[in-house]
Amino acid sequence: MNPYLLIVLLTSLGLGTALTLSSTHWLLAWLGLEVGTLAILPLMAQPHHPRATEAATKYFIVQATAAATLLFAAINNAWLQGHWDIQHMSHPLFTSMITLALLLKLGLAPMHTWMPEVIQGVSLNTGLIVSTWQKIAPFILLLQIKQIHPPLLTIIGLASILIGGWGGLNQTQLRKILAYSSIAHLGWMVLILQHSTALATFALLIYIFMTSATFITLKKCKATTINMLTTTWTKAPTITLVAPLMLLSLGGLPPLSGFAPKWFILQELTQQNFIPHASIAALAALLSLYYYLRLSYSITLSLSPNNLPECLQWRVNYPISTPLSSALPAALALTLFLLPLTPSALTLII
Amino acid sequence: MTPIQMTFSTMFLLGLMGLTFHRTHLLSALLCLESMMLSLFLATSLWALQLSTINIATVPMLLLAFSACEASSGLALLVATARTHGSDHMQNLNLLQC
Repeated sequence: MNPYLLIVLLTSLGLGTALTLSSTHWLLAWLGLEVGTLAILPLMAQPHHPRATEAATKYFIVQATAAATLLFAAINNAWLQGHWDIQHMSHPLFTSMITLALLLKLGLAPMHTWMPEVIQGVSLNTGLIVSTWQKIAPFILLLQIKQIHPPLLTIIGLASILIGGWGGLNQTQLRKILAYSSIAHLGWMVLILQHSTALATFALLIYIFMTSATFITLKKCKATTINMLTTTWTKAPTITLVAPLMLLSLGGLPPLSGFAPKWFILQELTQQNFIPHASIAALAALLSLYYYLRLSYSITLSLSPNNLPECLQWRVNYPISTPLSSALPAALALTLFLLPLTPSALTLII
Repeated sequence: MTPIQMTFSTMFLLGLMGLTFHRTHLLSALLCLESMMLSLFLATSLWALQLSTINIATVPMLLLAFSACEASSGLALLVATARTHGSDHMQNLNLLQC
C-alpha cells in the first residue's frame, strides 16, 4: 500500500478512537466510531483476494448496523429526555438498545458470529488492529453508560466466555482460535463491568498486551494454521521457548500476567456474593485453556512428523526489523512479567 | 411518544428488519442501511426544527455527510464483491464460514 495512504488511514484510526474517548455527546461518539470503521476498511480489503473482500464486507455491514442502532437509540433518548449526554442517559429501553449495539460492535456472544470470520479473512497485522485497537472505543462507551438491567450484561458475559471456549475447540486456523479467545476475554470484561469499571479497564489493558504479543509472534512465524506452527523451531528458536508461556498467560495461569485480571475478577464476584457466576466463569476458562495448551503443544512440546530436511526453510530469513517486530520484546515482557506490578497498575487505573 | 417520533422509529425499525430478514442481495442490504440513515437524518432535522436553535442545526448535515461516506464505501465494497465473487448474492459470501 502507498505509504502516504497508509499514514492517512492509521492516523484516522487513531483519530476515530480519540474522538470517541474524548466526547460527552452521543453524536461525536458516533462520529468517532464511524471514522474508525471507515478507516480500517481499505486496510482490510487491500489484498486482492476474495476472502479479504468478504471479510471487509461483513465487517462493514455489522459495524454500520451497530453504529446506526446506537445513533437511533441516542436520538430517541434525546426526543424523550432532551439531552445527548452519554453519562446521564437513563431511559431503560434505549439504554439496553445502546448496550446491545455496543456489544455487537465488540462481538460478544449472541452477536459474535462475524468476529471469527472477519479475523480469518484479514491479514495478521489488520487482525491485530481489529482485535485490540478497535475494541477500545466501544468498550469505553460501554463503561460510561449507566447499566439499568444488571442481568443483561451478566448473561452475555457468561455466554461469551462459554462460546469463546467451545468455538475454539474445533478450529485448526490460528486466526479463528484467536478470535474465539478474544470473545472469551471480552466476556470476562463484560461480566465484571457493572461491579467494578476499574477492573474491567485493567482486564482490557492486559488483554491488549497479550493479544498484541500473540499476533506479532504469529506474524514473525508466518503461521496461520496449527500445522504451520510445528516448524517454528527452525525459524525462530527463541519464540519456540517463549510462545508457550505467552499462550499460558492468555489462558490465565498464575505466575504470568494473564492471571491478574482473572484473579481480581473472581475475587470481586465472590465478594459481591455472585458465587455461581464466578464458578461458571472459572470453569469455562478451562475450555479456552485447552486450545491454548494445544497450540503450545504443537509449538514447543512436539516435533512435526516430517523428516528433518523438510522442516528447514528453503531460504534463510535474515531478521528484518519492522516496527511490529521491534514491538515484540516489549509486548512479550508485558505479557509475561506484569503480575508483580499489578497493585501499582491498579492504582494507576483507579 | 409524539407522532413524529413514532414515524421515524417505524422507518428505522422497518429498515433494520429489512436488513436482518431479507438476505438475498448485498445491494438491498446497502439500501436498507441507507434508509436507516435517512430516517435518522429526518429525526435529527425535525429535532432541530422543533427546538429552533441554531447550534443543533449542524447535526443533520454532519450525519448526512457521514452517511454519504458510509454509502460510498458500501458501494465500493459492492463492486469489489461483484468482481471477486461474480455476483452480489449474499449466499456467495461463504468462504470464511467454519
